[in-house]
Amino acid sequence: MAQPTPTPEVRQAYVLGGNRIPFARAGGPYVRASNQDMLIAAIDGLVARFGLQGERIGEVAAGAVLKHSKDFNLTREAVLGSALSAETPAYDVQQACATGLETVVSLSNKIRLGQLESAIAGGVDSTSDAPIAVSNRLRRALLDLSRAKTTGQKLAAIAQIRPKDLAPVAPNTGEPRTHLSMGEHQALTTAQWEITQAAQDEVALASHQRLAAAYDSGFFDDLVTPFRGLTRDANLRPDSSLEKLAKLKPAFGLGLDTTATMTAGNSTPLSDGASTVLLGSADWAAAHDLVPLASIVDAEAGAVDFVHGDDGLLMAPAFAVPRLLARNGLALADFDYIEIHEAFAATVLTTLAAWESEEFGRTRLGLDGAFGTVDRDRLNVHGSSLAAGHPFAATGGRIVATISKELHRRKAASGSDAPVRALVSVCAAGGLGLTAILEAA
Amino acid sequence: MTTTVVLPEVPSLGGLYARGAGLSLARRVRSGPSVLPDVDYVVRGVRSDASRLTEYQHLLGEPASDVLPAGFVHVLAFPVATALMVRSDFPLPLVGLVHLANRVTQLRPVLLDDELDVRASATDLRAHRSGTQVDLVTEVSIDGSVAWRGVSTYLARGVFLAGAVEESSETFDPPTPTGRWKLDGDVGRRYAAVSGDRNPIHLSALSAKAFGFPRTIAHGMYTASRALADVGAGRGDAFEWAVEFVKPVLLPGTVTVRIAHDGDGYTFAGWDSRSGKPHLTGSVTPLR
Amino acid sequence: MTDTYLNLVNSGFTKKVAKQLGLPQPSPLRRYEPGQPLLPGAVLVLGRGSEADAIASFLSSDWDLDVHRHATPDTRYSAVVLALTELTHPDQLSEPVLAVGGVLKSLPKGARVVTISREPRADDAPAVAAARQGVDGLLRSLAKELRGGSTGNGVVLALDVPVTAPSVVGALRFFLSTKSAFVDGQLLGVDSAAGALPSDWDKPLAGRVAVVTGAARGIGASIADTLARDGATVVAVDVPAAGEQLVTVANRVRGTALQLDVTAPDAGARILEHALQRHGRLDIVVHNAGITRDKLLANMSADKWDSVLAVNIASQLSINEALQTSGDFTDAPRIVSLASTSGIAGNRGQTNYAASKGGVIGMVRATAPLLEAFGGTANAVAPGFIETEMTARIPAVTRQVARRLNSLQQGGQPVDVAETVAFLASPAAGGIVGRVLRVCGQNMVGQ
Repeated sequence: MAQPTPTPEVRQAYVLGGNRIPFARAGGPYVRASNQDMLIAAIDGLVARFGLQGERIGEVAAGAVLKHSKDFNLTREAVLGSALSAETPAYDVQQACATGLETVVSLSNKIRLGQLESAIAGGVDSTSDAPIAVSNRLRRALLDLSRAKTTGQKLAAIAQIRPKDLAPVAPNTGEPRTHLSMGEHQALTTAQWEITQAAQDEVALASHQRLAAAYDSGFFDDLVTPFRGLTRDANLRPDSSLEKLAKLKPAFGLGLDTTATMTAGNSTPLSDGASTVLLGSADWAAAHDLVPLASIVDAEAGAVDFVHGDDGLLMAPAFAVPRLLARNGLALADFDYIEIHEAFAATVLTTLAAWESEEFGRTRLGLDGAFGTVDRDRLNVHGSSLAAGHPFAATGGRIVATISKELHRRKAASGSDAPVRALVSVCAAGGLGLTAILEAA
Repeated sequence: MTTTVVLPEVPSLGGLYARGAGLSLARRVRSGPSVLPDVDYVVRGVRSDASRLTEYQHLLGEPASDVLPAGFVHVLAFPVATALMVRSDFPLPLVGLVHLANRVTQLRPVLLDDELDVRASATDLRAHRSGTQVDLVTEVSIDGSVAWRGVSTYLARGVFLAGAVEESSETFDPPTPTGRWKLDGDVGRRYAAVSGDRNPIHLSALSAKAFGFPRTIAHGMYTASRALADVGAGRGDAFEWAVEFVKPVLLPGTVTVRIAHDGDGYTFAGWDSRSGKPHLTGSVTPLR
Repeated sequence: MTDTYLNLVNSGFTKKVAKQLGLPQPSPLRRYEPGQPLLPGAVLVLGRGSEADAIASFLSSDWDLDVHRHATPDTRYSAVVLALTELTHPDQLSEPVLAVGGVLKSLPKGARVVTISREPRADDAPAVAAARQGVDGLLRSLAKELRGGSTGNGVVLALDVPVTAPSVVGALRFFLSTKSAFVDGQLLGVDSAAGALPSDWDKPLAGRVAVVTGAARGIGASIADTLARDGATVVAVDVPAAGEQLVTVANRVRGTALQLDVTAPDAGARILEHALQRHGRLDIVVHNAGITRDKLLANMSADKWDSVLAVNIASQLSINEALQTSGDFTDAPRIVSLASTSGIAGNRGQTNYAASKGGVIGMVRATAPLLEAFGGTANAVAPGFIETEMTARIPAVTRQVARRLNSLQQGGQPVDVAETVAFLASPAAGGIVGRVLRVCGQNMVGQ
């Protein structure tokens, strides 16, 4: 393996703050809200928090996993509908559940290179207002009809249509190549790593308890702006308990010859919501009287060949993180906070199990032994997706804004110059993973 | 000495089936097969059609490139072998033949613009515990060198040869799946449209029932070709693609599959997750 | 929040019917818009003495008003200023007051009568004290006689305050202008010559940073709008649950939103930190956040009592304490706190609310002296019946009656409260210390 090239000296890009709307459960209070509505609300809340009315931001990048074709330029449309200057450029990004984190990483890189002074990263998703497509046969017939010139051609085009072609086609979260849902994929990985339901339920309970505690302490007062009457994440169950979670029936992995362990309680529900992160250079932050919370130090994407059974669909971070840490000369123990997106409780646990496995470390990571152990007290300290919900593209922004505030708080409280670091890991459909290192400013 | 029959063009399977049906009736009264006709069937200058290729690629999940998928070469060339099978001296009845296995050796890529010479022959008539099987060998050459070679093994149920029966009843233990095929009721008709194989057992429940199936069944080569597509680019330009068809897939239906790296190549299997019974198993091995 | 009755009696057939039936005839109030002239017509300045002359001269020269010292027949005066600071005996009221009487019938709608007098003191000569106290009764009664949306208010100067002191001039301008549309029958004390006149009367709060609590809706949102209009940078504060509306307000006024529960122990520190960090300073705090939990005392729960007191008064005390001890609230700071007529006159079912609002009045009176060294003030605004989402929930008949129980025979608008807050927050109001100004259309109950 070639010696990693040291990262060239570039200036820092900082997280200056964030804003999101509370995440709703699909079919809940945001049932009539579009992706654009939610993204505008998240941007406007950010504008209000930081006094950015009429400001021309360098670039806004956001995205949605489930997107209507009319929303081809969703983020730009949201900017035009927001209180930002209409002269703010914007573009869409799509990297499944890693979309939000990818916007943070790519925009911060532009800031680091001096290409941008300020940026807003974000993401939004609505499973309530998901696009419904027509069947392939109907679509082809309609396209033929639109191209038809003679009456005969038109009649021929119409004649192709069969009654059953008229049934709408709803999007699903199934992987396009395997046609297994994300939950079914994770169930395979869960079984492979022999993760118990009890262990998953503990992760879920901690997520709910920590998120609720953060809300109660006012931690989210400057991170979340209510929307449509919802003031906290709708999925949050502060009164959840291991007993209640244990009673839930398994939802995934039912067809396997091992015991099914994944329930609705230790899996994220379909959610609606939007998040934004304000990024800027040190100069821009100073000129706008804003305090840098954390810098985006480095990032690493990964992907696994789940199609051919090499690894579980959501295991890419297990590979990306060791590469990221090696490049930066860091170990898991060097991180004060570790944020692993809880697509499922089992996703977190299989990732941790892989890192703790001697064999995985040797055979799959090329290390001398196990990669390392994550201190659970540093893991998802203010809860994660199991409690908050997971509007796919909005999750990265939620994590980055939350942990940046926490990093800054910890650094300020410590009164020391010692670095305070967070590792962020987000798995995504398509066997993708995106991971990043943040450091308190 | 082998006789070579040169056909002017690839015959239509529909016409061949009609002929085959008539002959089968006639042949059923015969006591038993004996020898294969020592004859090769040849069609020269076969060209493929871009729109048919694209339809095929979209249906199977292959990228729409100018490289002909190995399964598409099969549907181009196999009617030549079928022409041989409907000869009056072919010992097995066409109707009711069961496609047991298929093995394709792709030696180099076949491109859309290539002119193909197809040569088909029948070989290795042998006993099976349920009847008699035979291999139909089809070779596709470009400029005189073989680019693709297919061996399709068929079984004539209830037609017995004298001699020993090769026993093969491997038990199937469902592996960890990697995916799932959800097959609509019209998959048979759609594959029939791109392959030209309009065997009635694939077209409608009614016609399938006439041949003893409860519902329409998927073409075996459709399932094998999907597995090949799922293997993807990792198969390379030259590979061997082998499949055994165990149990037909009733349509509409769901097949749980595992298509996974295995040593230097890939193995695949498709099964019914409820019964645990296999539909097909096979492998794709790059030739390097 | 539409007053249908007010609309009916001011249009077409229903107007005629109302008149014949002798029903109350409220007149739509003219309100301030930027660029509006201070007065549409001439102003009559009555009263004798050098101070009266100084006022007349100021109005004429500094504000370019058409000032008359004697009533001219056929002139419809937009305003009458009664300069009574030099009274030494009640006898001297006769001439100027009767002269006002002579022009009352010809006043146009929305006219202004403003008295300027001195505060009676125990050590005044009895005749002086009688004359000065007499102005009080005169003004309150005169205000009740005015019709057509006209108002009468008074400025009451402490012993040594010159008549051209910033706060006298500022209060006079406020009472003359449409900004005081719903302030009626009030006498506002000016305690000192402190304060400064703005260089631009359209932007009196330019360069000032203001925090408004409860800014997400109603009166608070209007206060944010008005302070921003007057040039202030606004930090809009409300509970996290009101964040969505707060965003709208903050973005409208181009300020910043701060989601905060004012009862949090660190609320004052967080407000100060936000203002200093984002805007470099903090000059004005408007304590507008308030809740009602109405119950007869016999049925009052501890929760209802405690929560009202916690939000409406305890939070203000705690925030003020944090500001005063910070050392960062020292450049002519202003605290303006929302009291209520309930806190003055009492209201059945509102023992908790009235206690908290009475508390506000006591608080500003005692807080103001602590800020005086920095040129600072603390004052209260006591709204009467204001048309808000909160009063819209009052049963219809009660609401109709409540609206008419004042000299202007209508409810006020949130902006009326906001204008008064903006005035008290302005540099010109630096000599008004620990006072309560009612915005109630001269409600018939109470002081």
